[in-house]
Amino acid sequence: MGNVSSKNFVPRSRKFVRRNQKSFFQHKHDRKYLTSIMSAVKRAQQWATFARTWHLFDATWQNPFDSAQVIIKHLMGLHKPIYHPMNDCGDHVVVMNSRDIALPGDEWRKRVYFHHTTYPGGASWTLAWELHNKNPTLVIKKAVYNGMDGNLQRRHTMQRLHVFPDDKIPEEILKNISNQIRYLRPVPTRLDHISPEEVENYPKIVDYPKQYILR
Amino acid sequence: MVFQSLTLFARSRGPDEFWRKRKIFKLAAHFVGRKRNCYSIAIRYVHRALRYATMSRKLKKADMLNLWNTRLTAACAEHDINLRTFKEALMRNNILIDRKTLVDLAIWEPRSFKSLTQLAIARGKQDGLNDVMYVKTPPGVITRGMLK
Repeated sequence: MGNVSSKNFVPRSRKFVRRNQKSFFQHKHDRKYLTSIMSAVKRAQQWATFARTWHLFDATWQNPFDSAQVIIKHLMGLHKPIYHPMNDCGDHVVVMNSRDIALPGDEWRKRVYFHHTTYPGGASWTLAWELHNKNPTLVIKKAVYNGMDGNLQRRHTMQRLHVFPDDKIPEEILKNISNQIRYLRPVPTRLDHISPEEVENYPKIVDYPKQYILR
Repeated sequence: MVFQSLTLFARSRGPDEFWRKRKIFKLAAHFVGRKRNCYSIAIRYVHRALRYATMSRKLKKADMLNLWNTRLTAACAEHDINLRTFKEALMRNNILIDRKTLVDLAIWEPRSFKSLTQLAIARGKQDGLNDVMYVKTPPGVITRGMLK
């Protein structure tokens, strides 16, 4: 290599110059490499932080519009200190008993869901009770969907919501669940669900007169 | 240099044209299409980008504050205390940690953050703050700010 004439000497690009071993380990990116070795013992903790958790929510007697806010919080990962809008840290939420939701006031009769087929005259308005009769999961699904900001992430976030009209949840979903979201309001006990003897033995203040007509 | 007229004086301004334009093209290097290659188009978009950069210096601070608030709300909720009460109790304890540091603690040192929430809850109970009156804490949680 000593007598390379200047005519056929082609300087190699810096990129292809081979670095010796010492300078290789002093490269600035190697700090990241060393750090990853140090944190290797904390791998499991790292996995647990970024793992998707499955939450169960029992919608019996719950207001779907209030519940939606709690469900959205878990779907988007807003309940985690590592939350970031660009960080895909949302969890799965399984909603059961969506048939037994309780709408406030006269919302069953007054709330209207709009749909348009995009053809002329294709508009249709469905009352909440009609929609619920057709599909008992749609009211809560729409409450969650409409409760979120409209962005590209919304439809992907919705994929993590699983709604079931009753308590029959498939085994492969049930086995993932590790947490239950606390209900927003206690479920009242209905009189016709209490056993007759318990009702009979409940302490009374007065007896109805014999000629009093109960309807 | 001799300027024979005002027009010629105007034409001879500034440093060499190549270097003057190169400064702009460097700033436009990451643009797409003609706005990175044609000077008269590039200069318009560079001006706009610099304007955005100026505005964003303020927006960035607001964005970060929003993010810290969101994260802290989540971190506090894990320990049964809300953010307002938490900050209030920390101030009363004379624990002066900003939101950024609190978030870093919540993510990287969850146990340190938990002990901070326990201090806050203990102080809140001592001062009768309604939010934390019925939250359970281990006995003997005390800090210098709680002594009266």
